[in-house]
Amino acid sequence: MQNESTIAAAEIPVSESAKRTEMIHEDTTAKLFLLSSVTYFFIVGIIALLIAAKFVMPSFLGTIPQLTYGRLRPLHVNGMLFGWLLACDMALMYYVVPRLCGVKLWSEKLGIATGVLWNVIILSAVVSFLMGWNQGWEYAELPLILDVGVVLAWVMFGANVFMTIANRKYQAMYVTLWYAMGTILWTAFVYLTGNFATLFTTGVNQANLNWMYVHNAVGLIFTPVGLAIAYYFIPKASNTPLYSHKLSMIGFWSLAFVYVWTGAHHMLHGPISQWLQTITIVFSVMLLIPVWAAVYNFFATMKGQWHQLRDNVSLKFLMSGVVFYLLTCFQGPMHSLHVVNAIVSKTDWIPGHAHMAVLGAFSFFAIAGTYYALPRLFNTELYSDALANWSFWLLLIGGLGFFVTLWLGGFWQGWQWNNPAIPFIDTVVALQPVWAVRLGSGFLMFGGIVAFGYNVLATVLGAKGSGVEANPAEVAA
Amino acid sequence: MLQKADYNAAFFVAAALGLFFIGGLLTTVVPPLIDSSWSKPFENSDPANGPVGKLRQLNEQELQGRAIYVREGCWYCHTQQVRTILADTKRYGWRGVDAPISTPDEFVYDSPHMFGTKRTGPDLARVGGKYNDQWHRAHFRNPADLVPGSIMPPFPWIANNEAEFKAMVAYLQTLGRAKDWRPDNDYEK
Ligand code: HEC
Repeated sequence: MQNESTIAAAEIPVSESAKRTEMIHEDTTAKLFLLSSVTYFFIVGIIALLIAAKFVMPSFLGTIPQLTYGRLRPLHVNGMLFGWLLACDMALMYYVVPRLCGVKLWSEKLGIATGVLWNVIILSAVVSFLMGWNQGWEYAELPLILDVGVVLAWVMFGANVFMTIANRKYQAMYVTLWYAMGTILWTAFVYLTGNFATLFTTGVNQANLNWMYVHNAVGLIFTPVGLAIAYYFIPKASNTPLYSHKLSMIGFWSLAFVYVWTGAHHMLHGPISQWLQTITIVFSVMLLIPVWAAVYNFFATMKGQWHQLRDNVSLKFLMSGVVFYLLTCFQGPMHSLHVVNAIVSKTDWIPGHAHMAVLGAFSFFAIAGTYYALPRLFNTELYSDALANWSFWLLLIGGLGFFVTLWLGGFWQGWQWNNPAIPFIDTVVALQPVWAVRLGSGFLMFGGIVAFGYNVLATVLGAKGSGVEANPAEVAA
Repeated sequence: MLQKADYNAAFFVAAALGLFFIGGLLTTVVPPLIDSSWSKPFENSDPANGPVGKLRQLNEQELQGRAIYVREGCWYCHTQQVRTILADTKRYGWRGVDAPISTPDEFVYDSPHMFGTKRTGPDLARVGGKYNDQWHRAHFRNPADLVPGSIMPPFPWIANNEAEFKAMVAYLQTLGRAKDWRPDNDYEK
């Protein structure tokens, strides 16, 4: 294993300030993506509150067609997934990849064009969802023309990342780079399947492609890019080398192989071939391998370092994100078992599960990366550590309130559904308290988003101009 | 062997895509080739094999109704699948007759598919013929008036637009009707 040492050299725990004197990154693209993503996080957070309120007061804003539940929901989901999370993930890749390669981003011009295109797509999406221009596939609601835009933007993003990696100074590629590359490659095919291949199919065949996409949007887009972030920022924020390179390799290659098989588990017990359901269950359970490999690595890295969590907000977000990642990925395989599926499938449990993945795990990683990278991008210090702490606790408590009540409520709901003597409407009325708590938790989470967004804004406005000043600000640490 | 991927980006790309495509192709391209019921419209004339009937394509009005169903996001709250779960067949049955389990051949003409993932409201796979126009009109105006405690949003702009309302209801009445499952033709128009 002669390479282990080489990798360690190229690997992150080189001190940031040392690197900075060595290399000045322009980072315009990263800033553009980062700031727009945080803006959408805030705006779409408001939409989230509106739809949560509609569960408690169904006629709230009910007579305005543009604001009906069925039009705001895709705005919420797509806005959070593509406007906030993916854009923030891309921002962090624009920040991380050049640093791990020891070179500048291949083309800032291309990057800026990508950022502009991305914003055009998101803003057009807002209009089209409010107008009800919806293709009718979950996660793939965007009208076709915008899908084409997304593909174009993705190719531009991919070209920039791959060219930067091709020009790299350090030969060995740290695990974050694999995940970045994996994300770009897999996403391309997953996205084409969910948004274009579906056009040529109908019925169950189309649903199967749709679920392949939906599942892998999380599994092969948000998971690998989220892990790319975690693998970079956990060692960075804690100033501790990654526990095991070999383990990260097992995690990566098993993820590459296993994830894509599991899309059909969204149709368990549904009108889809039995043998496909069986395959999907087997592979869903195998997902535990890549998950455990990554989580073990993160925990082992933190061994003896946990005290750092006390006053390091990035690490707080990162490590609670890891715990949520583990929990979500334990739930997922369990849902695919027939007995469990027969209770929780189609209930409110599922949004509880989905939010833990996308908010609890991957958004926490993205927020952590933002808190770490932002001051470095703008060559300043974070506006307020106290406010950052508030954002953490509000998002954590609000998030937990949301997840846990929906699990309990969803389980109870599924239990009631399985007794056909209970009229459906009674199962709706029974969930009212659950939805009220969900709305309350939503307000807490939104408070966290506001604290986060304000901190970002104040940091940027107070920035001392991105000079080369040798101010190795030991921020966020 | 995969250690090579640490240093060689081209090798990395090939391996990452190769592993992905094994599962990708086997679970998307292969299943419809193996399972013909995914593409063969339902047709049965022998009561011994379960409900008789024949899947037909929707007419223009029904398609327009379906488009409204897509536009308003009804599918975020309603599924269209009677699953292989006993409670599903009982709950969505009618006067003691179990609802037939949904089979792939009933959905061959569906695009976009409307199977759904979330049941905030009841499953609609067999709702065709359950209620008449009048019920639907009142329900779309304000569901909670008709079903106290309902959290289905009001859709006055459908109820008050004659063409849209007729189209919407025409579509809903087709749901699950390829299989003639209620005895004595006991359906609302
Ligand atoms: C926010 C979720 C939600 C949305 C969106 C929604 N519904 Fe509903 N729907 C419900 C709930 C809850 C019920 C059960 C209570 C009731 O009958 O009103 C229901 C009941 C129904 C029923 C009666 C089913 C039965 O078997 O009794 C029909 C038909 C229906 N909805 C059609 C629609 C159509 C068509 C749309 C779109 C225009 C739609 N729904 C949008 C939640 C929703």
